[in-house]
Amino acid sequence: MNKIKNFFEQSWLLIVAAFCFGLLVAITNSALSERIEQNEREKLYSRMRALITDANNFEKALEQVPIPGKKGKIINTDIYKGLDDANNVTGYAFVAVGSGFADKIKIVIAVDDKCEKFLGFKVLSSNETPGFGSKIIEDNFGNQFKNVLAGKINLSKVGDPQVIDSRIVAITGATVSSQAVVNIFNTYIEEIKEQLQTKEFIKNGS
Amino acid sequence: MAAKTSDISLAKTFITGLWEENPVFRLLLGMCPTLAVTAAVKPAFTMGCCVIFVLICSNIVVSLMRNLLKPHLRILMFTLTIATFVTIADLFLKAFNPIMSDTLGPYVPLIIVNCIIIGRAETCASKNNLIVSIVDAIGMGIGFTMTLCVLASVRELLGTGKIFEIAVMPKAFVPWVAMSLPVGAFITLGLLLGLVNQITKTSD
Repeated sequence: MNKIKNFFEQSWLLIVAAFCFGLLVAITNSALSERIEQNEREKLYSRMRALITDANNFEKALEQVPIPGKKGKIINTDIYKGLDDANNVTGYAFVAVGSGFADKIKIVIAVDDKCEKFLGFKVLSSNETPGFGSKIIEDNFGNQFKNVLAGKINLSKVGDPQVIDSRIVAITGATVSSQAVVNIFNTYIEEIKEQLQTKEFIKNGS
Repeated sequence: MAAKTSDISLAKTFITGLWEENPVFRLLLGMCPTLAVTAAVKPAFTMGCCVIFVLICSNIVVSLMRNLLKPHLRILMFTLTIATFVTIADLFLKAFNPIMSDTLGPYVPLIIVNCIIIGRAETCASKNNLIVSIVDAIGMGIGFTMTLCVLASVRELLGTGKIFEIAVMPKAFVPWVAMSLPVGAFITLGLLLGLVNQITKTSD
Protein backbone atom coordinates (compact mmCIF):
# COMPACT_ATOMS: atom_id res chain seq x y z
CA MET A 1 0.00 0.00 0.00
CA ASN A 2 2.84 2.32 0.95
CA LYS A 3 4.56 1.53 -2.33
CA ILE A 4 1.49 2.55 -4.33
CA LYS A 5 1.10 5.71 -2.24
CA ASN A 6 4.76 6.57 -2.80
CA PHE A 7 4.41 5.89 -6.53
CA PHE A 8 1.54 8.35 -6.86
CA GLU A 9 3.19 10.90 -4.61
CA GLN A 10 6.23 10.89 -6.85
CA SER A 11 4.59 10.67 -10.22
CA TRP A 12 1.16 12.30 -10.01
CA LEU A 13 2.37 15.44 -11.79
CA LEU A 14 3.87 13.38 -14.60
CA ILE A 15 0.64 11.39 -15.03
CA VAL A 16 -1.55 14.50 -15.01
CA ALA A 17 0.82 16.37 -17.35
CA ALA A 18 1.01 13.41 -19.76
CA PHE A 19 -2.80 13.26 -19.87
CA CYS A 20 -3.19 17.03 -20.38
CA PHE A 21 -0.45 17.26 -23.02
CA GLY A 22 -1.80 14.18 -24.82
CA LEU A 23 -5.23 15.80 -24.90
CA LEU A 24 -3.76 19.06 -26.20
CA VAL A 25 -1.91 17.30 -29.02
CA ALA A 26 -5.00 15.20 -29.86
CA ILE A 27 -7.22 18.30 -30.06
CA THR A 28 -4.69 20.14 -32.25
CA ASN A 29 -4.28 17.11 -34.48
CA SER A 30 -8.00 16.60 -34.94
CA ALA A 31 -8.45 20.30 -35.69
CA LEU A 32 -5.68 20.39 -38.31
CA SER A 33 -5.57 16.86 -39.74
CA GLU A 34 -8.16 17.58 -42.44
CA ARG A 35 -6.22 20.63 -43.61
CA ILE A 36 -2.93 18.71 -43.58
CA GLU A 37 -4.45 15.89 -45.64
CA GLN A 38 -5.90 18.43 -48.06
CA ASN A 39 -2.48 20.05 -48.44
CA GLU A 40 -1.00 16.65 -49.27
CA ARG A 41 -3.79 15.96 -51.79
CA GLU A 42 -3.41 19.38 -53.42
CA LYS A 43 0.33 18.92 -53.71
CA LEU A 44 -0.12 15.55 -55.41
CA TYR A 45 -2.88 16.82 -57.71
CA SER A 46 -0.91 19.93 -58.72
CA ARG A 47 2.05 17.72 -59.65
CA MET A 48 -0.23 15.36 -61.63
CA ARG A 49 -1.87 18.30 -63.39
CA ALA A 50 1.56 19.59 -64.40
CA LEU A 51 2.40 16.19 -65.90
CA ILE A 52 -0.90 15.21 -67.52
CA THR A 53 -1.75 18.61 -68.96
CA ASP A 54 -4.90 17.45 -70.80
CA ALA A 55 -6.52 16.19 -67.63
CA ASN A 56 -9.01 18.33 -65.74
CA ASN A 57 -9.92 15.75 -63.18
CA PHE A 58 -8.21 12.84 -61.45
CA GLU A 59 -9.71 9.64 -60.09
CA LYS A 60 -8.18 6.65 -58.41
CA ALA A 61 -7.96 3.86 -60.99
CA LEU A 62 -6.36 1.24 -58.77
CA GLU A 63 -5.75 1.29 -55.04
CA GLN A 64 -2.88 -0.21 -53.09
CA VAL A 65 -1.06 -1.80 -56.01
CA PRO A 66 1.76 -3.95 -54.57
CA ILE A 67 5.20 -3.14 -56.00
CA PRO A 68 8.08 -5.49 -55.17
CA GLY A 69 10.89 -3.33 -53.81
CA LYS A 70 14.39 -4.03 -52.57
CA LYS A 71 15.00 -7.16 -50.44
CA GLY A 72 11.51 -8.47 -51.20
CA LYS A 73 9.83 -5.52 -49.48
CA ILE A 74 6.41 -4.70 -50.89
CA ILE A 75 5.49 -1.05 -51.42
CA ASN A 76 1.86 -0.19 -52.06
CA THR A 77 0.85 2.67 -54.29
CA ASP A 78 -2.34 4.07 -55.82
CA ILE A 79 -2.71 4.62 -59.56
CA TYR A 80 -4.65 7.71 -60.63
CA LYS A 81 -6.21 8.28 -64.02
CA GLY A 82 -6.38 11.74 -65.53
CA LEU A 83 -9.69 12.57 -67.23
CA ASP A 84 -10.47 15.32 -69.72
CA ASP A 85 -13.78 17.21 -70.04
CA ALA A 86 -15.36 14.33 -72.02
CA ASN A 87 -14.26 11.87 -69.30
CA ASN A 88 -11.68 10.26 -71.57
CA VAL A 89 -8.55 8.93 -69.93
CA THR A 90 -5.58 11.11 -70.87
CA GLY A 91 -2.95 9.46 -68.73
CA TYR A 92 -2.09 7.62 -65.54
CA ALA A 93 -0.02 8.78 -62.60
CA PHE A 94 1.31 7.11 -59.47
CA VAL A 95 3.46 7.97 -56.48
CA ALA A 96 6.82 6.22 -56.35
CA VAL A 97 9.41 6.15 -53.58
CA GLY A 98 13.06 5.12 -53.53
CA SER A 99 16.34 5.71 -51.74
CA GLY A 100 18.27 8.80 -52.74
CA PHE A 101 21.70 10.05 -51.72
CA ALA A 102 20.66 11.43 -48.34
CA ASP A 103 17.09 10.33 -47.78
CA LYS A 104 14.04 8.85 -49.53
CA ILE A 105 12.98 10.51 -52.76
CA LYS A 106 9.23 10.62 -53.35
CA ILE A 107 8.11 11.41 -56.87
CA VAL A 108 4.97 11.23 -58.96
CA ILE A 109 5.40 9.55 -62.34
CA ALA A 110 2.96 9.95 -65.21
CA VAL A 111 2.45 7.80 -68.31
CA ASP A 112 0.17 8.32 -71.31
CA ASP A 113 -3.29 6.75 -71.66
CA LYS A 114 -1.87 3.59 -73.30
CA CYS A 115 1.05 3.38 -70.89
CA GLU A 116 3.39 3.49 -73.86
CA LYS A 117 5.33 6.63 -72.99
CA PHE A 118 6.37 8.46 -69.87
CA LEU A 119 4.91 11.94 -69.52
CA GLY A 120 7.59 12.80 -66.98
CA PHE A 121 7.95 13.03 -63.23
CA LYS A 122 7.69 15.62 -60.47
CA VAL A 123 9.31 15.49 -57.07
CA LEU A 124 7.00 15.37 -54.06
CA SER A 125 9.74 15.30 -51.45
CA SER A 126 13.50 14.98 -51.46
CA ASN A 127 16.37 15.97 -49.18
CA GLU A 128 19.12 15.64 -51.78
CA THR A 129 22.30 17.75 -51.49
CA PRO A 130 21.54 21.43 -52.22
CA GLY A 131 23.19 22.57 -55.43
CA PHE A 132 23.83 19.02 -56.66
CA GLY A 133 21.24 16.28 -56.04
CA SER A 134 18.56 18.91 -55.51
CA LYS A 135 18.77 19.56 -59.27
CA ILE A 136 16.55 16.51 -59.87
CA ILE A 137 13.62 18.92 -59.53
CA GLU A 138 14.87 21.03 -62.44
CA ASP A 139 13.42 20.81 -65.94
CA ASN A 140 16.83 20.16 -67.52
CA PHE A 141 16.83 16.76 -65.89
CA GLY A 142 13.07 16.11 -65.80
CA ASN A 143 12.52 16.84 -69.51
CA GLN A 144 14.71 13.87 -70.43
CA PHE A 145 11.97 11.52 -69.23
CA LYS A 146 9.21 13.07 -71.34
CA ASN A 147 8.06 10.86 -74.23
CA VAL A 148 10.55 8.12 -73.40
CA LEU A 149 9.13 4.64 -74.04
CA ALA A 150 7.56 3.36 -70.82
CA GLY A 151 9.93 0.56 -69.89
CA LYS A 152 13.33 0.04 -68.34
CA ILE A 153 15.59 3.08 -68.61
CA ASN A 154 19.25 3.47 -67.80
CA LEU A 155 21.64 6.18 -66.72
CA SER A 156 24.59 7.51 -68.64
CA LYS A 157 27.28 9.85 -67.32
CA VAL A 158 27.86 11.36 -70.76
CA GLY A 159 25.53 12.22 -73.61
CA ASP A 160 23.18 14.86 -74.87
CA PRO A 161 20.25 15.48 -72.49
CA GLN A 162 18.24 16.89 -75.42
CA VAL A 163 18.09 13.46 -77.11
CA ILE A 164 14.96 11.64 -76.00
CA ASP A 165 15.67 7.96 -75.51
CA SER A 166 15.88 5.42 -72.70
CA ARG A 167 19.36 6.68 -71.81
CA ILE A 168 19.08 9.40 -69.18
CA VAL A 169 22.08 11.69 -68.81
CA ALA A 170 23.12 12.11 -65.17
CA ILE A 171 23.32 15.50 -63.46
CA THR A 172 26.95 16.55 -63.11
CA GLY A 173 28.08 15.95 -59.53
CA ALA A 174 24.86 14.13 -58.64
CA THR A 175 25.17 10.70 -60.22
CA VAL A 176 23.76 8.98 -57.12
CA SER A 177 20.62 11.16 -57.08
CA SER A 178 20.17 10.76 -60.86
CA GLN A 179 20.60 6.99 -60.55
CA ALA A 180 18.10 6.97 -57.69
CA VAL A 181 15.42 8.56 -59.89
CA VAL A 182 16.15 6.09 -62.72
CA ASN A 183 15.96 3.19 -60.22
CA ILE A 184 12.58 4.42 -58.98
CA PHE A 185 11.26 4.42 -62.56
CA ASN A 186 12.61 0.91 -63.17
CA THR A 187 11.23 -0.46 -59.91
CA TYR A 188 7.69 0.69 -60.63
CA ILE A 189 7.01 0.83 -64.34
CA GLU A 190 6.82 -2.88 -65.28
CA GLU A 191 4.53 -3.70 -62.34
CA ILE A 192 2.29 -0.69 -62.96
CA LYS A 193 2.00 -1.61 -66.64
CA GLU A 194 1.15 -5.21 -65.75
CA GLN A 195 -1.48 -4.15 -63.23
CA LEU A 196 -3.10 -1.76 -65.72
CA GLN A 197 -3.16 -4.56 -68.31
CA THR A 198 -4.52 -7.14 -65.86
CA LYS A 199 -7.34 -4.82 -64.79
CA GLU A 200 -7.94 -3.98 -68.47
CA PHE A 201 -7.29 -0.27 -68.23
CA ILE A 202 -4.90 -0.70 -71.15
CA LYS A 203 -4.73 -3.36 -73.82
CA ASN A 204 -2.26 -6.28 -73.63
CA GLY A 205 0.79 -5.68 -75.74
CA SER A 206 0.49 -1.93 -75.40
CA MET B 1 11.68 52.01 -6.68
CA ALA B 2 11.18 48.25 -6.46
CA ALA B 3 9.13 48.31 -9.66
CA LYS B 4 11.89 50.23 -11.46
CA THR B 5 14.53 47.76 -10.30
CA SER B 6 12.34 44.93 -11.49
CA ASP B 7 11.93 46.59 -14.90
CA ILE B 8 15.70 47.01 -15.23
CA SER B 9 16.19 43.39 -14.24
CA LEU B 10 13.66 42.25 -16.85
CA ALA B 11 15.29 44.37 -19.53
CA LYS B 12 18.67 42.87 -18.58
CA THR B 13 17.20 39.36 -18.78
CA PHE B 14 15.89 40.16 -22.25
CA ILE B 15 19.14 41.67 -23.53
CA THR B 16 21.20 38.82 -22.07
CA GLY B 17 19.61 36.43 -24.55
CA LEU B 18 20.33 38.73 -27.46
CA TRP B 19 24.05 39.22 -26.89
CA GLU B 20 25.72 38.37 -23.57
CA GLU B 21 24.36 34.83 -23.48
CA ASN B 22 23.35 34.52 -27.13
CA PRO B 23 22.48 30.82 -27.49
CA VAL B 24 24.53 30.31 -30.65
CA PHE B 25 27.42 32.80 -30.49
CA ARG B 26 28.08 32.70 -26.74
CA LEU B 27 26.67 29.40 -25.44
CA LEU B 28 27.12 27.32 -28.62
CA LEU B 29 23.74 25.67 -28.16
CA GLY B 30 21.29 24.59 -30.87
CA MET B 31 24.08 23.76 -33.32
CA CYS B 32 21.98 21.19 -35.24
CA PRO B 33 19.43 23.68 -36.69
CA THR B 34 22.10 26.39 -36.85
CA LEU B 35 24.09 24.35 -39.31
CA ALA B 36 21.24 22.52 -41.03
CA VAL B 37 18.59 25.11 -41.90
CA THR B 38 20.67 28.20 -42.62
CA ALA B 39 21.21 27.64 -46.34
CA ALA B 40 18.49 30.27 -46.92
CA VAL B 41 16.91 33.03 -44.83
CA LYS B 42 13.25 31.94 -45.10
CA PRO B 43 13.68 28.48 -43.50
CA ALA B 44 16.06 29.95 -40.92
CA PHE B 45 13.49 32.57 -39.94
CA THR B 46 10.70 29.98 -39.78
CA MET B 47 12.84 27.73 -37.60
CA GLY B 48 13.55 30.69 -35.33
CA CYS B 49 9.83 31.43 -35.00
CA CYS B 50 9.10 27.79 -34.12
CA VAL B 51 11.82 27.87 -31.45
CA ILE B 52 10.43 31.13 -30.01
CA PHE B 53 6.94 29.58 -29.79
CA VAL B 54 8.20 26.39 -28.13
CA LEU B 55 10.55 28.30 -25.82
CA ILE B 56 7.82 30.65 -24.58
CA CYS B 57 5.25 27.88 -24.08
CA SER B 58 7.65 25.49 -22.35
CA ASN B 59 9.03 28.25 -20.10
CA ILE B 60 5.46 29.22 -19.12
CA VAL B 61 4.50 25.63 -18.24
CA VAL B 62 7.78 24.86 -16.43
CA SER B 63 7.63 28.11 -14.47
CA LEU B 64 4.03 27.44 -13.40
CA MET B 65 4.80 23.95 -12.13
CA ARG B 66 8.29 24.70 -10.76
CA ASN B 67 7.19 24.24 -7.12
CA LEU B 68 5.61 20.88 -7.88
CA LEU B 69 8.58 19.38 -9.75
CA LYS B 70 10.36 16.40 -8.20
CA PRO B 71 14.09 16.85 -8.79
CA HIS B 72 14.63 13.37 -10.24
CA LEU B 73 11.66 13.69 -12.61
CA ARG B 74 12.27 17.22 -13.80
CA ILE B 75 14.14 16.36 -17.03
CA LEU B 76 11.34 13.96 -17.96
CA MET B 77 8.79 16.70 -17.32
CA PHE B 78 10.78 19.20 -19.40
CA THR B 79 11.04 16.77 -22.31
CA LEU B 80 7.34 15.95 -22.14
CA THR B 81 6.45 19.65 -22.15
CA ILE B 82 8.81 20.51 -24.99
CA ALA B 83 7.71 17.52 -27.11
CA THR B 84 4.07 18.61 -26.79
CA PHE B 85 4.69 22.14 -28.05
CA VAL B 86 7.07 21.00 -30.79
CA THR B 87 4.40 18.59 -32.06
CA ILE B 88 1.85 21.42 -32.06
CA ALA B 89 4.28 23.74 -33.91
CA ASP B 90 4.98 20.98 -36.45
CA LEU B 91 1.26 20.37 -37.04
CA PHE B 92 0.60 24.10 -37.52
CA LEU B 93 3.46 24.37 -39.97
CA LYS B 94 2.21 21.35 -41.94
CA ALA B 95 -1.30 22.82 -42.03
CA PHE B 96 -0.55 26.46 -42.80
CA ASN B 97 2.85 26.45 -44.49
CA PRO B 98 3.31 23.01 -46.07
CA ILE B 99 6.09 24.16 -48.40
CA MET B 100 8.20 25.39 -45.51
CA SER B 101 7.34 22.25 -43.55
CA ASP B 102 8.77 20.19 -46.43
CA THR B 103 11.85 22.41 -46.61
CA LEU B 104 12.59 22.10 -42.89
CA GLY B 105 11.88 18.37 -42.96
CA PRO B 106 12.91 16.59 -39.76
CA TYR B 107 14.46 19.68 -38.18
CA VAL B 108 11.19 20.91 -36.68
CA PRO B 109 10.54 17.67 -34.72
CA LEU B 110 14.23 17.80 -33.74
CA ILE B 111 13.56 20.99 -31.73
CA ILE B 112 12.55 18.52 -28.99
CA VAL B 113 16.24 17.79 -28.41
CA ASN B 114 17.36 21.39 -28.87
CA CYS B 115 19.57 22.22 -25.88
CA ILE B 116 18.48 25.86 -25.79
CA ILE B 117 14.94 24.98 -24.76
CA ILE B 118 15.76 22.33 -22.17
CA GLY B 119 18.61 24.56 -20.99
CA ARG B 120 16.33 27.54 -20.38
CA ALA B 121 13.77 25.32 -18.66
CA GLU B 122 16.49 24.07 -16.30
CA THR B 123 18.42 27.29 -15.65
CA CYS B 124 15.66 29.88 -15.80
CA ALA B 125 12.03 28.72 -15.89
CA SER B 126 12.36 26.13 -13.10
CA LYS B 127 13.85 28.78 -10.77
CA ASN B 128 12.02 32.00 -11.69
CA ASN B 129 8.51 33.40 -11.80
CA LEU B 130 6.30 33.51 -14.88
CA ILE B 131 7.21 37.03 -16.07
CA VAL B 132 10.97 36.48 -15.88
CA SER B 133 10.59 33.11 -17.64
CA ILE B 134 8.58 34.64 -20.49
CA VAL B 135 11.02 37.56 -20.93
CA ASP B 136 13.95 35.13 -20.88
CA ALA B 137 12.23 32.96 -23.52
CA ILE B 138 11.56 35.96 -25.77
CA GLY B 139 15.14 37.24 -25.42
CA MET B 140 16.71 33.86 -26.04
CA GLY B 141 14.30 33.08 -28.89
CA ILE B 142 14.94 36.37 -30.67
CA GLY B 143 18.68 36.00 -30.07
CA PHE B 144 18.58 32.54 -31.66
CA THR B 145 16.42 33.71 -34.59
CA MET B 146 18.65 36.72 -35.28
CA THR B 147 21.76 34.54 -35.28
CA LEU B 148 20.16 32.04 -37.64
CA CYS B 149 19.09 34.85 -39.99
CA VAL B 150 22.56 36.45 -40.01
CA LEU B 151 24.18 33.10 -40.77
CA ALA B 152 21.56 32.31 -43.43
CA SER B 153 21.91 35.75 -45.07
CA VAL B 154 25.64 35.25 -45.59
CA ARG B 155 25.17 31.71 -46.89
CA GLU B 156 22.23 32.50 -49.17
CA LEU B 157 23.93 35.58 -50.57
CA LEU B 158 27.19 33.83 -51.39
CA GLY B 159 25.66 30.43 -52.17
CA THR B 160 22.93 31.60 -54.55
CA GLY B 161 23.40 35.35 -55.02
CA LYS B 162 19.96 35.91 -53.50
CA ILE B 163 18.41 37.16 -50.26
CA PHE B 164 14.87 36.02 -49.43
CA GLU B 165 14.98 34.35 -52.86
CA ILE B 166 15.40 37.78 -54.55
CA ALA B 167 18.48 38.09 -56.76
CA VAL B 168 20.70 40.87 -55.39
CA MET B 169 24.12 40.02 -56.76
CA PRO B 170 25.27 41.21 -60.21
CA LYS B 171 24.73 38.79 -63.11
CA ALA B 172 28.48 38.21 -63.37
CA PHE B 173 28.52 36.74 -59.86
CA VAL B 174 29.21 33.00 -59.82
CA PRO B 175 27.44 31.42 -56.81
CA TRP B 176 29.72 29.67 -54.32
CA VAL B 177 27.79 26.42 -54.18
CA ALA B 178 29.90 25.28 -51.22
CA MET B 179 28.20 27.94 -49.10
CA SER B 180 24.86 26.14 -49.53
CA LEU B 181 26.45 22.87 -48.42
CA PRO B 182 27.31 21.79 -44.85
CA VAL B 183 30.89 22.97 -45.37
CA GLY B 184 29.59 26.51 -45.93
CA ALA B 185 27.63 26.32 -42.67
CA PHE B 186 30.74 25.35 -40.68
CA ILE B 187 32.95 27.99 -42.32
CA THR B 188 30.39 30.80 -41.88
CA LEU B 189 29.68 29.83 -38.28
CA GLY B 190 33.40 29.68 -37.51
CA LEU B 191 34.05 33.09 -39.05
CA LEU B 192 31.09 34.69 -37.27
CA LEU B 193 32.13 33.14 -33.94
CA GLY B 194 35.61 34.56 -34.45
CA LEU B 195 34.12 37.97 -35.26
CA VAL B 196 31.87 37.93 -32.19
CA ASN B 197 34.79 36.90 -29.98
CA GLN B 198 36.88 39.72 -31.41
CA ILE B 199 34.10 42.27 -30.80
CA THR B 200 33.65 41.02 -27.23
CA LYS B 201 37.41 41.16 -26.60
CA THR B 202 37.64 44.70 -27.95
CA SER B 203 34.64 45.92 -25.94
CA ASP B 204 36.07 44.36 -22.74
